[in-house]
Amino acid sequence: MKSKILLVVLFLPWLSFAGGQEIYSENCEKCHGFSQQGSLGLPLYRSTVANHSDSYLKKTIEYGRPGRIMPGFKLSNAQTVKLIRFLRAGVKAPQYSKEPIVGDVEAGKYTYEQYCQRCHGKQLQGGEGTGKNFSWQKDRDVSPPALSNQGFLHAAEDQMIKHIIMKGIKDTEMMSFEKEFNFTDQMANDLVAYIRSHQQSSVFSDTPKAVEDEEPLVFVYQSQHDLNTTVEKLRDSAAAYNFRVYPTRTLFEGLGDATEDNKKQMVVRFCNFKNMQKFLKLDPRLGVMLPCRATVVENNQGEVHIYLENYVHAIKRFNNEQISIDAKDLIDSMKEMVEEAVW
Amino acid sequence: MVVRVFALCVLMFASVASAGHNELLIERVNAKFSYTWLALDKTIKANGYKAAYLQRCDFALNERHYKSDKYRILFFGQYDEMKRMSAKYPKLSPFFPLKITVMEEGEHTLIIAAPPITLLPLVKTDEDRMLIFRWNEDMKNILKQVKNQYK
Repeated sequence: MKSKILLVVLFLPWLSFAGGQEIYSENCEKCHGFSQQGSLGLPLYRSTVANHSDSYLKKTIEYGRPGRIMPGFKLSNAQTVKLIRFLRAGVKAPQYSKEPIVGDVEAGKYTYEQYCQRCHGKQLQGGEGTGKNFSWQKDRDVSPPALSNQGFLHAAEDQMIKHIIMKGIKDTEMMSFEKEFNFTDQMANDLVAYIRSHQQSSVFSDTPKAVEDEEPLVFVYQSQHDLNTTVEKLRDSAAAYNFRVYPTRTLFEGLGDATEDNKKQMVVRFCNFKNMQKFLKLDPRLGVMLPCRATVVENNQGEVHIYLENYVHAIKRFNNEQISIDAKDLIDSMKEMVEEAVW
Repeated sequence: MVVRVFALCVLMFASVASAGHNELLIERVNAKFSYTWLALDKTIKANGYKAAYLQRCDFALNERHYKSDKYRILFFGQYDEMKRMSAKYPKLSPFFPLKITVMEEGEHTLIIAAPPITLLPLVKTDEDRMLIFRWNEDMKNILKQVKNQYK
């Protein structure tokens, strides 16, 4: 009997997060890594999670970080609890008071500019690119979090932010400002008030926003020229817009025979390497959109059309604000390039 | 056949109704790039598709602070299906052939694809919606099967 009790006691920690590993494997490991070491997402080491309250982790899982890659997940409450237990791996959750911290925003701004801006950015926007990128050598091992992100501000309690400022996070670049720079309680309070001043109350209201998407999935242009001339004009136009142009393919090259019919569906492929590398730095998954292309099709009536994917939709899938801003120029230049070719 | 169509319909409804149906499909493979690439090629064939060609995206990546230049895109499809669909819906042609991006990430490899289900608004009949849904399920299965080979 005693040995059975001993067995139960020994396996109790394992039983408590059984199921959480599967949930992690299904939803999180693709970005945070097999052993939570970080990758596209930030590391989720036990020592990091030890600073975060259950409420913070729950809201982070549910709402994600808008514009910062981490999406929100629709997990049940039971699944979320199991996942958090797995991440904690037996370490007790910290308890923070929900009481808001009162501080001087202006004084906090001054402190922020002196001590925090260097890592977290002037606008509290955090580091560039993904969490911990193994593909790209960055100045910092881990990208500093965006403190102005509405997902973060919605999830984090004032007291948790203060605790992290004062005590730091073990095994990361976030040092203890109490220990290293003799931060006083008042300095930390002012800093929390300044960070909190970036929160917008309406972002995570309970009423779901109706998103009316007016953008087409595909842009269609009718060419005034025959198919071969259109292809040549597109290639010239792409080169003029600083794209490197690849050999033209039939749409089904490698899949079907090069019949006359298939030669009426041609793909002009092009790439601006400087742009490509800039985007890959922001999110290495961007290859799913490569290479840029325009598909030229001659229909049975002899009309020639050019079909251009509207990358606005593809870009949304990255949940990356920086890419969304930068990609607009690329989309506009592709449209101009095609318009010039068909004119 | 009827049961299969019914099951696909149920899955299609559930998939479209879920909030994340528009998100990128990603799997992390516990293997280096070259092994993953071979496994992907075999898995695509095993699922009834043909690999069309590959696109290398490794131009000068090493010289620009990238730790790895192992970055490729594999294009694949089923000729008859895609030929029929592109003739019926030319707006689908910018999305053909389907593609999977393969990139080395430290000791692992990431395989990534855009979900074909996002093409649903471009087609009009239930039969064609079912086909797109099947491509979506096949895409997910291919990624999962490659991942499971190196668990």
